[in-house]
Amino acid sequence: MEYTLSELMIVASAREIQDGEVIFAGVGNPLLGALLAQKTHAPSAMIATEGGALGPRPKRLILGIGDSACSENAMTVMPLWRLFADQQNGFVDVGMVGGAQVDRYGNLNSTAIFGDGNYFAPASRLPGSGGANDIASCAGRTVISIPLQRRRFLERVDYITSPGYLTGGDSRERSGLPRGGPAAVITDKCIFRFHPETRELMLDSIHPNVTVEDVKKEIPWELLISNDLKETKAPTEKELQIIHMLDPQGIFIGNGLKELTFEKYIAMLESSLDHAI
Amino acid sequence: MTLTEAVQKFVHEGSTVAFGGMGGTQCVAHAYEIARQRIGNLTLICESPAEPADILIGAGLVKKAEVAWIAYAVAGLGYNFRRCVEQKVPREIELEEYSNYGMSLRFLAGAMGVPFLPTKSFLGSDFAKYNSRIQEMEAPYTGEKVSLVPAAQPDVALIHCSRADRFGNGQYFGISASAENIARAAKHTILTCEKLVDQELIRKTPNLTIVPGYTVDAVCEVPFASHPWNMAYDYIYDLPFHSQQMKAFKTREGFEIWMERYCYGVEDWNEYLREVGFERLMKLHQMEEKFNPSVY
Repeated sequence: MEYTLSELMIVASAREIQDGEVIFAGVGNPLLGALLAQKTHAPSAMIATEGGALGPRPKRLILGIGDSACSENAMTVMPLWRLFADQQNGFVDVGMVGGAQVDRYGNLNSTAIFGDGNYFAPASRLPGSGGANDIASCAGRTVISIPLQRRRFLERVDYITSPGYLTGGDSRERSGLPRGGPAAVITDKCIFRFHPETRELMLDSIHPNVTVEDVKKEIPWELLISNDLKETKAPTEKELQIIHMLDPQGIFIGNGLKELTFEKYIAMLESSLDHAI
Repeated sequence: MTLTEAVQKFVHEGSTVAFGGMGGTQCVAHAYEIARQRIGNLTLICESPAEPADILIGAGLVKKAEVAWIAYAVAGLGYNFRRCVEQKVPREIELEEYSNYGMSLRFLAGAMGVPFLPTKSFLGSDFAKYNSRIQEMEAPYTGEKVSLVPAAQPDVALIHCSRADRFGNGQYFGISASAENIARAAKHTILTCEKLVDQELIRKTPNLTIVPGYTVDAVCEVPFASHPWNMAYDYIYDLPFHSQQMKAFKTREGFEIWMERYCYGVEDWNEYLREVGFERLMKLHQMEEKFNPSVY
């Protein structure tokens, strides 16, 4: 069964979700993971998107956090502050987040890459938090998706946009954050979890055809490795079929956006109507 | 009143301005109108005002942005925002950063008439390090740590809804995000709608009225005001158009050519729509009807 690393990441993040959970998901691969879970082992999972929609069951690909597909066959649409307040009050089980940099304790940066500069004059300005800080602060747990690259995995991120376990140990609890923290970091080479006491990133599962050395090469500190190191299960045919049905033009999972003409786009939507996802 | 007149009347040099929308339902027509009128030195107070912020920053009309996120999501990055922060082009701006929830609480506080609200967001993060208006305190009742965000009461709110009557009672069929609070918090509110309707129709589904007329100063009917973004039950997202737009925005020159064609070179939003093509717009509407047929 052939699959891409991006598909494997979606499948791995879907497997983090349990049936019946409320999932706060960002658009792109996190949302594809949530939808895949819903179509397989977690049919009663509820997806929330930042615009305020809860429980959409669209026939088409969701293209943004306020896309029309978010309110299509949804359970409710709330004001933005209300959905986030529900999360703050403990109603959201899992948040699916990403970032440009992650560190040893699962803190994420989606604000700015400082490079030789600083916050005010960064080498690369990123979009900012959006709702990521809120999700990382108050969701029951978070699942982080990020490619494994040395420039992304740092001892310390330049800017903590979304708090993980801060400086490790009980520092997250001491900061006043009510709950949560990252449960897993899904990459294109492996899956990390966190040491129960030090709260440090710990290699838990490596993807097929990847070695521990391949992973270590990308990590700038002495990496913890689980005593129970596993191999990530490859995607099943059914999982891949569902992903291709969810994103038929490869807008998120491939290069589909580059070749997306208006005619192709309309044809994609027309075919979604006929092959309800 | 037309949108052109409403902007002339309420948005002034140096105004603090808030835009409604989140993902979709964005105030694109409104931002183009402000850019066309070259109203500058604005302070933007918004959650994730992707397009209005990026365009007005690129046009050099913003001096400060109090925001959570600026980009075009799946279509691409906020190239004008990036050029501005990384290279100070076309000018330097002051940045005051929050999260989406933090910003929405600022509008809620403004709408409630209280000076701040507490939240569990920001704790442990680096926000307060670079934004001195995010404060931390211990709750006087329980001792637990909370972050505080200041109320936002912008001079002008610009909001787009599904339909409204001429008194400004605005209804949403889809996502309204913070419209209810932005309208209430602002000193003046310009409400645009896809369709202006009789009040009789509004009264049939009163629970959809997110923005009550007493918060509104001007009402304008502006169809397709969120293009290329979507408006639930009215039109789908025009992703291929945005994709072209992003190709142009990658360079400063491309942005300027784009603005000349779609903003400065046309008289109003109707002419922008003509430039986009009515056949294309009808297709966007028809597709939305197939997925989200209008129920009212």
